Amino acid sequence: MQGERRQGERMKDKHITEVLDNAALATLSPGELDEIRAHARDCEPCRTAFAAAQISAVMIKERTQAAVEPSPFFQTRVMAAWREQQAVESVPAIVRLWRSSRALVSSMALATVALGALSFVVSAPATTSTLDQTTASSAYSAESVIFQDNDDQLSYDQVINAIYTDDGDNK
Amino acid sequence: MRQAQDGDESAFAEIVRRYSPRVFSTASRFFRQRSLVEEAAQEVFLKAFTQLGSFEGRGSLEGWLTRIATNTCLNMLRAGKRRPELTVSDLSDEEDQWLEQQLSDTKQRSVESNLVAADLADRLLSVLSPEDQQALLMIDGEEASIKEVAEATGWSESKVKVRAFRARKKIREAMEKLLRSQDRKPATT
Repeated sequence: MQGERRQGERMKDKHITEVLDNAALATLSPGELDEIRAHARDCEPCRTAFAAAQISAVMIKERTQAAVEPSPFFQTRVMAAWREQQAVESVPAIVRLWRSSRALVSSMALATVALGALSFVVSAPATTSTLDQTTASSAYSAESVIFQDNDDQLSYDQVINAIYTDDGDNK
Repeated sequence: MRQAQDGDESAFAEIVRRYSPRVFSTASRFFRQRSLVEEAAQEVFLKAFTQLGSFEGRGSLEGWLTRIATNTCLNMLRAGKRRPELTVSDLSDEEDQWLEQQLSDTKQRSVESNLVAADLADRLLSVLSPEDQQALLMIDGEEASIKEVAEATGWSESKVKVRAFRARKKIREAMEKLLRSQDRKPATT
């Protein structure tokens, strides 16, 4: 009692916010509450603080009383979920992995096969002709490079001789 | 209990039936939406069934389930976003009216006004961390002791005290702001 009075005397000089925050309002003794009220009467900031603490206490009380009750189907739902979990866990990991990725792997394989078939079947002739041309031109170039002395090429004198010889023959 | 540890389905079902109210009550501390409370409660029992082998029976099964429920709900809340501080413009007409009533002498207690209070509390609490919310709701709302909160959460008693102090201060200050912003004059009660 004496301790409470001493605390009350201290409260008169000190703001009450720390007392309000230290413990739940419902746990304060009547003496402490009287002292808080006495201080709040003369101190505007502490009056607002006390009002705020009181309203907060009411709100929190209401909040905890608004508890949700389990529905009658809850037990059935949990047991169904548990059975499902058990069934999943009993299957080996590799099988579970295959089941989950089966669709993706199949579609990827199908796409690869389709692409392969397209590249070989549809574009095959075009590729061959291009290849032949390239090979031919490359071969020509290679020959001209290797045989610098080109036998097929006629000299200017040879051409003139051939023309006049032909003319003579015709005459 | 032993039957459940051996995988007996009917023993599991009995655990769910017996401890659902307790698990729901714990989850309701964190969520108000039925769907969320049920989701949390289901996860709690599924976790409990998979970890039942690790339950050594030192404490009560109810205490063990409460601890799992607390951790599960805290994780669910941590995954969500915290809301910004509530301002007076965010208040609905009903909430505004309820605050006015609290400051006057004409306090009404009806189902509607209780719901408004619970809604407002929910919105104010959402500015706190999930752990601080938990400490405040247990101590100030359910009148649990520091020791009981420490047992349910696994925190030290000094940590519980600090969390409750911090939460109380934050909520009071947020409420003060609401009261001041509309220049409401508290009656000297």
